[in-house]
Amino acid sequence: MAVRKIKTVYDVVCPFCGTLCDDLEVDVVDNKITEVRNGCQIGTKKFFASNPSEHRYKTPLIKVNGSFKEASWDEALDKAADILVKAKRPLLYGFSSTECEAQSKGVELAEILGAILDNTASVCHGPTILAEQDVGVPTSTLGEYKNRADLVIFWGCNPVHAHPRHLSRYSEFVRGYFRKDGRNDRFIVVIDPRNTHTAQIADLFIQVNPSEDYGLLNAIRAILRGVELDEKEVAGVSMENIKELADKVKSCNFGVIFFGMGLTQSLAHHRNIDAAICLTRELNDHTKFLITPMRGHYNVTGANQVFTWITGYPFSIDFSRGYPRYNPGEFSSVELLLKDQVDASLMVSTDPASNFPAASVKNMFKHPLIAIEPHETPTSVNADIILPPAYAGIECEGTAYRMDSIPLRLRKVKDAPNGLLTDREILERLIEKVKEKKGE
Amino acid sequence: MTQVKLKLKKQPNVPLEAESITPDNFAGKNINEIKGLIVYHGKEKEKIGDYFDVSGESSEINDLKIIIEGDLSNIKRIGEKMTSGEIIINGNVGMHVGNQMGGGKILINGNADDWAGAMLKGGELEITGDAGNYIGSAYRGYWKGMENGLIKVKGKVGHESMLWARSSKGAKKFPMLICGGAASFLGIHNHGGTIIVEGDVDRCAGADQAWGTIVIKGKVSRKLPSFKKMGEINEITLPNGDVIKGKFIEYSGDHATKKETNGRLYIAA
Repeated sequence: MAVRKIKTVYDVVCPFCGTLCDDLEVDVVDNKITEVRNGCQIGTKKFFASNPSEHRYKTPLIKVNGSFKEASWDEALDKAADILVKAKRPLLYGFSSTECEAQSKGVELAEILGAILDNTASVCHGPTILAEQDVGVPTSTLGEYKNRADLVIFWGCNPVHAHPRHLSRYSEFVRGYFRKDGRNDRFIVVIDPRNTHTAQIADLFIQVNPSEDYGLLNAIRAILRGVELDEKEVAGVSMENIKELADKVKSCNFGVIFFGMGLTQSLAHHRNIDAAICLTRELNDHTKFLITPMRGHYNVTGANQVFTWITGYPFSIDFSRGYPRYNPGEFSSVELLLKDQVDASLMVSTDPASNFPAASVKNMFKHPLIAIEPHETPTSVNADIILPPAYAGIECEGTAYRMDSIPLRLRKVKDAPNGLLTDREILERLIEKVKEKKGE
Repeated sequence: MTQVKLKLKKQPNVPLEAESITPDNFAGKNINEIKGLIVYHGKEKEKIGDYFDVSGESSEINDLKIIIEGDLSNIKRIGEKMTSGEIIINGNVGMHVGNQMGGGKILINGNADDWAGAMLKGGELEITGDAGNYIGSAYRGYWKGMENGLIKVKGKVGHESMLWARSSKGAKKFPMLICGGAASFLGIHNHGGTIIVEGDVDRCAGADQAWGTIVIKGKVSRKLPSFKKMGEINEITLPNGDVIKGKFIEYSGDHATKKETNGRLYIAA
């Protein structure tokens, strides 16, 4: 009987959600992941998904007459570079599920191509960034909340399902330096239109009418200023309950608001966050209060950081003039695709076909499409060229930013199958090819 | 007054950025020089002559009128930063028309796309059709939007119109928007702008208004809770001295930003 050697890698950073848990233990046998400890359901699943399966691409593919044909890296990259150089207004989108090193290469490629550069913040927490640019943001790291917060508000988010270990690591059950009794030392408020599983374990659940959060934020702010309002009820919440909440947030020692896409992607979008940030700022007249977005993809914060330190702007950047210009709504992917203003796209570790509005996806498929994607997705199967990478954070090292903008080093736990290149290497080679074709 | 006529002869494949079309750039140039001015087509530099038939003659800037014919909905930035003269557009026009203009006049006989008259510093912008979102607004991250001048829209304006408008009594700068109707968040973060709406307005008008005047002659789908009723009045005196007659309910606000505010919202009784 052959001896099966188990390799265990400790302190692995989980490349799934913005919580970026850094205490996972992963067992690897014969370059296959067999066990993941400490991880949550969704994070663990991602590790297993990197094992060989029929859904994973093993070589670059080029579409010829409607069906995919295996190709060499050189051939596929050459063709991809050809498409990008010929396009008048190419779009580079994605970047949130890969490491910062690859993201910086993406910026370089966009600059050389005079392309439009965007990341998934465009369709999730982009509104958060717009609001932060308008009114600033009082925020902190998650460790600070863990050790100090005695009042936690979850507004329009459901971490029990979306960020499963957030509650036990930072915000609800964990014992902190000044919160020795964990859950008992914290008052948890959930504000959401749905009675979610997060709401069911809260101390106070406020059911707000869908898409009326702005009115509620607005009313709380006015009440905190000591204004007597004319209304008896706002957004489905009675004035007594709003006053009770206002007293509660004023009287805590250290409060924090965590908010999710329930705020950023309901009717008032960035204005919800604008009001929530103003509320947080004003609460500091009474006590200590901070606010942090619950970022989705594990490195979407990193994408914003990398894009900002290189170009000055976090997303929706246009390089067509040779220098970066920024205007979400004009240079953001969904709007560009809806108006059919893009004539080729490169999708880096993302699946817009299952997330974007159908009309914009239709326009995306009309033009040449290149996907850097390890798995079969609705986007990749409709692509003209597929460049399969190694899994960032599982099959290669790199840097990722947690939702509170703390950089953590991702670990490599196993080798990529078939010697697949990493996202960074693919983009580097693409840059070389593009430079060659442009005669630089 | 001398005229330069531009007639669109072909549609661009991707949006054309034509900030070179302003009286400032055309003044004192002959037709061939005007044809050679640069426009941006995606990442390529092209010329006005590639897209427009140019005729007429140019002159000094104050005496110059530019008339543009055709469907310009895919052409952006016409009249950017213009300081004098006149532009007449017969057809729909793309984003950023007349943004940051300091003087002169633009008349659009059609619809305008988003950011028309953004951060206007003076002059007059008139649109006979509808306007897109962010008309007369600040660009992302700016705290000073429209500072002076007048925007008139016959039809409806989009979301977040007149964002971060700023007036100055000392400098006699009164930015003003007159429109037929408006979508949500009209005059948000208003700091002294005047807005008059002839028709109906969607939710959250005047959100975060520090001071300023918003007059709505139609209905409001949902008023913000932080506006407080003050009473009924029969005439309104605007900051620039004009008077509007009619029965209005006067609200003060937005009280979410200030406890005592001279921000006013008037809704027809």
